[in-house]
Amino acid sequence: MYMIETKNLTKKFGKLTVFEGLNVTVKKGEVLVIIGPSGSGKSTFLRCLNHLEVPNDGEVFIEGEKIDIKNKKHMRNTIEKVGMVFQNFNLFHHMTVMQNVIEAPITVKHETREEVLERSKIIIDKVGLKEKVDEYPSKLSGGQKQRVAIARSLAMRPDIMLFDEPTSSLDPELVGEVLGVMKDLAKEGMTMVVVTHEMGFAKDVADRVIFMDGGKIVEEGTPEELFMAPKERRTREFLNKVL
Amino acid sequence: MDISIMKEMFPVLLQGSLLTIELTIISVILGTLIGIVTALLKLSKNKLMAGVAGFYTWIFRGTPMLLQLIAFYYVLPFVGVLLSPFQTAIIGLSLNSGAYMAEIIRGGILSVDKGQFEACKSLGFTYFDTMKRVVLPQTFKIIIPSVGNEFITMLKDTSLVSTITMSEVMRKAQILSASTFRPMEAFFIAGCLYLFMTTIFTTVFSHYEKKLSVY
Repeated sequence: MYMIETKNLTKKFGKLTVFEGLNVTVKKGEVLVIIGPSGSGKSTFLRCLNHLEVPNDGEVFIEGEKIDIKNKKHMRNTIEKVGMVFQNFNLFHHMTVMQNVIEAPITVKHETREEVLERSKIIIDKVGLKEKVDEYPSKLSGGQKQRVAIARSLAMRPDIMLFDEPTSSLDPELVGEVLGVMKDLAKEGMTMVVVTHEMGFAKDVADRVIFMDGGKIVEEGTPEELFMAPKERRTREFLNKVL
Repeated sequence: MDISIMKEMFPVLLQGSLLTIELTIISVILGTLIGIVTALLKLSKNKLMAGVAGFYTWIFRGTPMLLQLIAFYYVLPFVGVLLSPFQTAIIGLSLNSGAYMAEIIRGGILSVDKGQFEACKSLGFTYFDTMKRVVLPQTFKIIIPSVGNEFITMLKDTSLVSTITMSEVMRKAQILSASTFRPMEAFFIAGCLYLFMTTIFTTVFSHYEKKLSVY
């Protein structure tokens, strides 16, 4: 059984077809990195995996369970297993770091405050923000915000983590601290799908890389195959530009 | 102005302003609740519910409150609904306030960052929890200056219930001025009491505004 499986996934915005008939699978513990130029549909594809964008056609299976938008409760329970980290963090502005992290397990999973607090302290410590537990997000740097966002997702004990350009809105000197946390997660065996422009991260951490362009999967393979010996002309052109 | 007459008038008018405050607080609280529900209905995908909510705000924002109060007080008895002046005042003021609050709250919800909804969805929140835990608390911060404004407008608009025999400050002042032939004293005190009340509420609201600006 795959952790994520898409069958014939299609997304359109009005008349514009973002992508069509995508079939992608992700195995347990695998780190899949999706690269490609802006407008290639990679972020939209990622957002379809937890139905932040509802696909026009095709299906998404999470650990074998089909995401069914007609059954809201079942859909929420399925999406719960998938954590997501956004480009713009989307932390809850009116809550402190700790409140951000404990909110979802208490509200969504109805866990007791005590057990969530204990776990959250460990998670916040892990992302290196022990001193910031009582700060509001507005007092944090971008890198710190993104690490809180990761901690918030982890508090739900997800089986899969999706990253939507997690470092794209960060100052260059803050990128490293976020990638570091992501590397640690990968090492621990988290199943991850990462849309990013960080080629270094893709080379070091990915088990498999997909290159998307114009809504199509142009090429996929191990980082060695894709970065060292790209088969497709378009892949080579893209890599020449970004590397 | 005669100080001794003012001394006699003051306790009567003070009593009237207690009723003014009571009417204001109750109707703004009820109006806020009505406003939240109406705003959510107006934003919902259900066309029928959105239509009903839209009709309500259209009626209550589009007609004078004086007309609404008179309608509730003098017209409802014809269809067999008998309400005391106090009940009429509360219903009239709350429904009117609710219509304005609905628009304030709707605007507030619309200005909450879309990413907040997405974060909630990705974490498995229900619509109800998303609103209760994340969106409405943030909306509250955004709308607090407008709510303060609405509160003060409402406080002054309660003077309209004098037309349906409620003895709040304004009506008390009218009665006193008529019975003593001293309009100057009566309305001067009434004006001071209104200013005093609006100043207190303005201060309370700016205190909350400051308190919420920590994030």
